[in-house]
Amino acid sequence: MSNAGAESLPTKEVNVLKGHEGAVLAARFNSNGEYCLSCGKDRTIRLWNPHRGIHIKTYKSHGREVRDVHVTPDNSKLCSCGGDRQVFYWDVASGRVIRKFRGHDSEVNAVKFNEYATVVVSAGNDHSLRAWDCRSHNTEPIQIIDTFRDTVMSVCLTKTEIIAGSVDGTVRTFDIRIGREISDDLGQPVNCISLSNDGNCILASCLDSTIRLLDRYTGELLQEYKGHTCKSFKMDCCLTNSDAHVTGGSEDGFIYFWDLVDASAISSFRAHSSVVTSVSYHPKDSCMVTSSVDGTIRVWKT
Amino acid sequence: MDSDEEDFVFYGTPIEREEEITSRKKKAVAEASGQLRTAVPWKQEVRDEEGRRRFHGAFTGGFSAGYYNTVGSKEGWTPQSFTSSRKSRAEFKQQSVQDFLDEDEKDELEGRSLETSMQFDTFGFTAAELARKQAEKEQEKRPSAIPGPVPDEVLVPASESIGIKLLLKMGWRRGRSIKESSANSLYDLRREARKAFLALSAGDTAGKSASSELVDNDVEDVTDPSADDGTVFSRSTPVYVLNPKQDSHGLGYDPFKHAPEFRERKRSRMLGTKETLHRKPFPVGDSLFGFKSGRVAPGFGIGALEDYDAEDEDVYASGYDFEESYVEETEEPSKPMNENIKLLRNKEDGLLPGFKAASNSDYQLERFGPPVIPKDFVPHHKFTAPLDVGNKITEETPPEVPPPDDNNLKLMIDGMATLVARCGKLFEDLSRQKNQSNPLFAFLFGGNGQDYYTRKLWEERQKHNDGKKWQLDGKIFQNVKKMTAENRGKILGEKPLERSLEDTAVTAASTDTVNLQFNLADTFTKPVSFGEDPEVVKPFQDDPAKQARFEQFLKEKYRGGLRSMDVGGSSQMSEAARARERLEFEAAAEAIEKGKQGKEINTPSQLFAGVLPTAGLQFTSGEPEQAKASKEELIKEKRYPRREEFQWRPSPILCKRFDLIDPYMGKPPPAPRPRSKMDTLIFMPDPVVAAKVEENVMLGNDQSSLSKVGSEEKGREIVDEEIKVEVNVENVEKPVDLYKAIFSDDEDDDEDDSNPIQAEDPQKNVEVVNKTLNRLIAGDFLESLGKELGLEVPPDLPYTENRECGTASSKEVIIVDREEKDTAGVGSNRSSVGYAVTGSFMTAEVARASNDKQNTTGSAQTNGSRKTEAGIPEKSGRKDASENVKKEERKTKSPTRRARNWSSGSSEDERSRKRSRHRHRSRNSGSETSDSSDGSRHYSRSEGKKKRSSQEKSSSQRHSKHRKHRHRDSPETQRDSRYGSRKEHGRAKNRRRHKD
Repeated sequence: MSNAGAESLPTKEVNVLKGHEGAVLAARFNSNGEYCLSCGKDRTIRLWNPHRGIHIKTYKSHGREVRDVHVTPDNSKLCSCGGDRQVFYWDVASGRVIRKFRGHDSEVNAVKFNEYATVVVSAGNDHSLRAWDCRSHNTEPIQIIDTFRDTVMSVCLTKTEIIAGSVDGTVRTFDIRIGREISDDLGQPVNCISLSNDGNCILASCLDSTIRLLDRYTGELLQEYKGHTCKSFKMDCCLTNSDAHVTGGSEDGFIYFWDLVDASAISSFRAHSSVVTSVSYHPKDSCMVTSSVDGTIRVWKT
Repeated sequence: MDSDEEDFVFYGTPIEREEEITSRKKKAVAEASGQLRTAVPWKQEVRDEEGRRRFHGAFTGGFSAGYYNTVGSKEGWTPQSFTSSRKSRAEFKQQSVQDFLDEDEKDELEGRSLETSMQFDTFGFTAAELARKQAEKEQEKRPSAIPGPVPDEVLVPASESIGIKLLLKMGWRRGRSIKESSANSLYDLRREARKAFLALSAGDTAGKSASSELVDNDVEDVTDPSADDGTVFSRSTPVYVLNPKQDSHGLGYDPFKHAPEFRERKRSRMLGTKETLHRKPFPVGDSLFGFKSGRVAPGFGIGALEDYDAEDEDVYASGYDFEESYVEETEEPSKPMNENIKLLRNKEDGLLPGFKAASNSDYQLERFGPPVIPKDFVPHHKFTAPLDVGNKITEETPPEVPPPDDNNLKLMIDGMATLVARCGKLFEDLSRQKNQSNPLFAFLFGGNGQDYYTRKLWEERQKHNDGKKWQLDGKIFQNVKKMTAENRGKILGEKPLERSLEDTAVTAASTDTVNLQFNLADTFTKPVSFGEDPEVVKPFQDDPAKQARFEQFLKEKYRGGLRSMDVGGSSQMSEAARARERLEFEAAAEAIEKGKQGKEINTPSQLFAGVLPTAGLQFTSGEPEQAKASKEELIKEKRYPRREEFQWRPSPILCKRFDLIDPYMGKPPPAPRPRSKMDTLIFMPDPVVAAKVEENVMLGNDQSSLSKVGSEEKGREIVDEEIKVEVNVENVEKPVDLYKAIFSDDEDDDEDDSNPIQAEDPQKNVEVVNKTLNRLIAGDFLESLGKELGLEVPPDLPYTENRECGTASSKEVIIVDREEKDTAGVGSNRSSVGYAVTGSFMTAEVARASNDKQNTTGSAQTNGSRKTEAGIPEKSGRKDASENVKKEERKTKSPTRRARNWSSGSSEDERSRKRSRHRHRSRNSGSETSDSSDGSRHYSRSEGKKKRSSQEKSSSQRHSKHRKHRHRDSPETQRDSRYGSRKEHGRAKNRRRHKD
């Protein structure tokens, strides 16, 4: 089974997206996998068609590096954040900034839209999560969650929950429906969290070079994935579209694939010449984009 | 001016300092107040509130706008003054044409002007004029798009020339040629002649031919109308045709001005469409789609920068589509919408070549289709486990057998049968296996009482099935599922996960600890996780009867509320033994639960090894530490991931944006957390505390060595009572914190429990046990209460209920019995401060044992109704209660002094009096001890206390609370005790100091 899975893994490079000057900090597919967005140290956000390998548009307005970007399900709006402590809310087509949300006291690490693209939730170095309203013209956060004891690195949203991973070693789930915060202490700084496609598990990349799989409902540690290096960079991890494998980058430029169940590293290959900052998996196909400090974004297919 | 005014200021201080106001301003103020309104209007100057003149512009009046800053004129125009009061509202005036007409215009309008009379109206001008006016008037009455009189030019054709008029008078009609009228007449003549000729020549066939001719003629007339009338004269004189404006160009705009060659084309096309219109009743669709496809818009209105591609070619096209003017009208309403959509689309995808908006967003509602049922699915469930629900019923009914004489045996059999019925055959086998050598279980092996056992088992099964039938499927299915869920991993070949329940269960069993796994198909209503676990630890395996009682105990414990009836076999046991056993059960249950909490059953035998032999007292010391230690181990072992839960309050707008319902909707903002436990003590009314301190002091003054023990106990009692009160307070404020605080407060308990005095006297032990029991019961209550509340602050739900209780119990007497206290100094009796907290009846009453034997057991009473009534006490009620305490204390003061004797008789008296305060309801479950210990229940009191007793009678119940041990109690009890502990502690020290 695992062998069969390995064959279906996207290990063939089909496109290299070049254009960023300097490190690319994140690359993200849009909701249907047709386009991809990247952002980097050059203070720009770029929109690509990864399948055809073309650059579509550049969004410039950030004053410092852009650390994360997310696009609404209908492709009409972007949100991005970065070193300038602001969350930008963009119009995709015009490339103009619709709103800037100021309020974070420090760099903002991650940003996400909710399902209806009405709220942007950002995670910052100021130990807080902030939720911003896209509907009204209010630029004040509608909710500040500051129960974290250290930098919040990553945030995920479901229909009813806000999930965030922090350097204090916790993955915290804020259930809006029942008004409850569930904190799962992993004991290691959490670098990145990502939800499984079925929504039942959280994949948490920790700074002890271990990716941990948590059961969301019991908080149980289901599996640990090791082999890569992840000690000091903000790096992504994610599950494949079929939830059969876990994939993540390494600080030596490798990309790893682990079997979800038995945690064996199925495949690993050198993808970039430097740290792999981000991996993003196509929601439907077996396709992946990776970004690296070497300034390239690579598209991988089977 | 300043100096002028200074002369007139005599009293007080001026409101404003004059220097600060500029002279300009003053002037303005003065003007406004009308002081300077002396000049003629056109000489006045208009200034703003700052006193400045406003310059309106060199060509618009200079400094004065309008006519000297008015809207009037030299002739004068006075604006209407707007007045509106409550009585007479200003009415909205509808302006009419009349308002804007001059006098002569009005005259003309009303027909009063000079005009030609009809008599001399040769050419009908006046008549025409009149008709026109008539028409105008009609027009006014009719609603029309253009308000007011419609311009004549539009409606009325230009008046005819005199020549036409003359022609008309001569019989000429419009459109008829003047010249060819003679030709026409010639033609007519010729035709007439021919007819006549034919008529003559036809002869006898005249009738027929004439008729045919007539027909012919008619036909000719019909078929050739042009020859007759229309075409001929129409060409002679141009008919004045009013061409309706059918396009949407500006008036006078001719799109074909410079391209006349298209005019013809357009006309032909229009004719074509008209023809199609005539042909087809609804040509709209056709033309709608037809014209769009082929033609390109003339390019008017499209900017140079806007390149149009296939999609937006007709954005403006329809507006300049001359050919379709007729059709367009029908299409008009839909046009703007169309355009909008087009524009929108244009905006969306026009800007980013290569980028396309998602055709479908994830907005759609998720719809889940029904699950696909596998083909081989049989909608009938087969039970894999040998569950003996249905099949055993068919067994033949065993004959009715009289129970064995030995009551113990009977009880045991009963218990066993119940358990087996509930847990299945497996259990029977197991216990048979385990108890092979045990003579008590002979009935399982065909020995004494087997018949009875069979019968009983059958009965129980019947009962069980009856009760279960209706919920049969759900329950059993669940159980079965549970079983399969465990095995599923194995079946699928998955790697078993660490810390799986299965593993621990196996290891526990392998160590030969009594870890029985059976299908708990219990019907009892457990609100806790206890019953959901398929395994139940049997700590009393060596003594099955006891185990049975333990099961019973557990069942009752989780049934919610209080255990009302005797535990099985209690009738044979001494009270002391029963109480001790109960404590054991509590401890065991707690241990089991603790083990479960840690998801690892820490080999119960170990747990109980330390516990059981040393029943009553000893397990106060060792167990919590042990549990703690094991817990710590657990934590170390599986430190991470560690899950914690907190309350979190999402903002309402966040909920709204997430399209969720605010879980805290309508609830007040979270109260700030109490800074310390002492804060909650503040809620304690001061007088009560003071009284207690006083008591303690007095107690401390007692020098008798015997009283030491008693006094300590008393102190504890008091503290217990305080605890109760405080617990109630907590329930009002913040139950969650309450429990937290309870559980975190162990160290004080330890010290209390290490008190060596407790172990000395067996009688004391009994008493202690009783106390503990009562506390356990109270703990049960608290637990159920907590469960009911869901550990959350209840807004104010059971208010009405409480109010009832409150009124009933407000009369409940709170007594600080000094006398008793004093007599307690002798060492015989200890009284307590019992006070009823409104609504809760959380009274604690102390009956204290002393040297004399007959009083050994204090009456312990549990209030069966506590659960319901104790719900949530009202604060105000509590206050009342405390006030009552105060009053009562004052009242009792005099008798206290009086009764200050040291005789044993008086102590007896005190005792009885005290006991009289123990009110029982018939339901009181705890009465087992008190009733049996000393059956005398006095409701009469010495005459000095009449008042109080009457008050007390109104109170429905009392509970005596005996508490000694805080250890090994189920957590609920600890809840109970935690508040007191600290205080108690301090107080104990206090007492010691006094004694020294």
